[in-house]
Amino acid sequence: MNDMDIEKIRKDFPILSKKINGNPLIYLDNAATSQRPSIVIDGIKYFYENINANPIRSIHSLAEEATKAYNEAREKVAKFINADPEEIVFVRNATEAINLVSFSFPFKSGDRISTTYMEHHSNLLPWLRLKEKGINVDIVSISDDYELDMDYYKHLPKNTRLVAVTHASNVTGTINDAKEITRISHEQGSLVLIDAAQSIPHMPFDVKDIDADFIAFSGHKMLAPFGIGVLYIKKDIAENLKPFLTGGEMIKDVSLSKVIYENAPNLFEAGTQNVEGAYGLGLAIDYLNEIGMRNIEKYENELTKYLYERAKELKNVEVYSGKSKRFSGIFSFNVSGLHSHDTAYLLDKKGIAVRSGFHCAQPLIEERLKLDGAARASLYFYNTKGEIDAFINELNDISEKYGRR
Amino acid sequence: MIYQRNMEDDKFYELVELYRNPEHYGKPSKYNYSENGYSPSCGDKFSIYLEVEDGIVKDASFDGKGCVISTVSLSKLCSFLIGKPLKEIENMQLKDIEDMLGIGDISISRVKCATVGLDAIKKINKEVSNN
Repeated sequence: MNDMDIEKIRKDFPILSKKINGNPLIYLDNAATSQRPSIVIDGIKYFYENINANPIRSIHSLAEEATKAYNEAREKVAKFINADPEEIVFVRNATEAINLVSFSFPFKSGDRISTTYMEHHSNLLPWLRLKEKGINVDIVSISDDYELDMDYYKHLPKNTRLVAVTHASNVTGTINDAKEITRISHEQGSLVLIDAAQSIPHMPFDVKDIDADFIAFSGHKMLAPFGIGVLYIKKDIAENLKPFLTGGEMIKDVSLSKVIYENAPNLFEAGTQNVEGAYGLGLAIDYLNEIGMRNIEKYENELTKYLYERAKELKNVEVYSGKSKRFSGIFSFNVSGLHSHDTAYLLDKKGIAVRSGFHCAQPLIEERLKLDGAARASLYFYNTKGEIDAFINELNDISEKYGRR
Repeated sequence: MIYQRNMEDDKFYELVELYRNPEHYGKPSKYNYSENGYSPSCGDKFSIYLEVEDGIVKDASFDGKGCVISTVSLSKLCSFLIGKPLKEIENMQLKDIEDMLGIGDISISRVKCATVGLDAIKKINKEVSNN
């Protein structure tokens, strides 16, 4: 597909024709979760009607099919981010992916990890917890333009073992230079983990180009079912990691006195997996590939530009995103004098779905931005300029009526 | 999905006015019980202060930050309790808060906001009873 036919695309998402409070749904909460196209919804039904069995171990024909479907899903994910299939570990979501690294990485007392003020709790709490084990956690600051302090990365503190950083912020929309951070961290001997939950759904992503050692993302933000996510672990790194969960299907040989573990990725996939979810993620990737990630990125950039252009009309509205050199389709804001939840409620009455509150980034919202919450509109490729118009017009009405001057 | 569907704009406007200038807001110089209340989805964080004498609430106030629903419900709860036995809180429920606010059918996502004060004062009541 060269040009995106948005009206045709929207027909692929049954929920987009739903009415909310008597108004057409305008879904602007895509950074929380995306909507799902029919190919994924129908695919799950197809899976249970035609493929379902416990993969990997059983050898009957149906299990063979399930194993094949599971492996194909892994291959699709690998190809989508230019990785090899054995570098792809299926997990529940980005949160589980990052927790896995925090458990499995052989940190020792005195080691340092860096994360940032810009992180979702998923890329913050797993590291803060390691403080109990005597590991130091540095929090990289951000500027008033929502840019990371790149000087920090140029001079990493001694003993920094892992640099963890988000590719795209779910609040400020900042897209960080993951490639450059990785390059300079590697030069100083640190490994790098990228939280790509807010970037991979929206742009072409090449792990070999970025070169990070761990990459975490969630399926549900990129059209796939809930409960399936991915941890990419660079080849050769995996063998230094300890198992995360232990149990079925992650072993080669077990006796009561000795266990020989499987290699990655199976080592990190204990127990029966979310095969339906992996299959659905594969279908979601097929769909994204059909539209083309370059097209998606280009169209979303246009939409984002349009949104920020129209937002200039707003009065009594504070904006907390879109100041960095590069940013995604995220618009975080408050109507002056109104709590974000109340703004979200008023928008919802007109069928407009936005997120409000802390966005699981409480240190950023509360300590850094000094707010008690923010509302957030976040775009995906099925949104339209018409929807942005409706959102801005409604927000204008709310801010005129309720906003403090 | 958040408040009652058919809640009129005017009703909401009235609540916003109360929210901006809530009664019983501020930390008092004299109190003998206090408790914190949180509603993590909203990011509401409040402290409630009670002056209780022989089981009677002599004074009640609160401070902190939250949304319209949590702030106004706390304010109204304080007004309600002053001069009454603290024990009255024992049997109070979400429905009573809805009545105080003048809105019915608070949605699941906002129940915590409406009950943040109720839960905290119930904790104080337990503490007072145990003493």
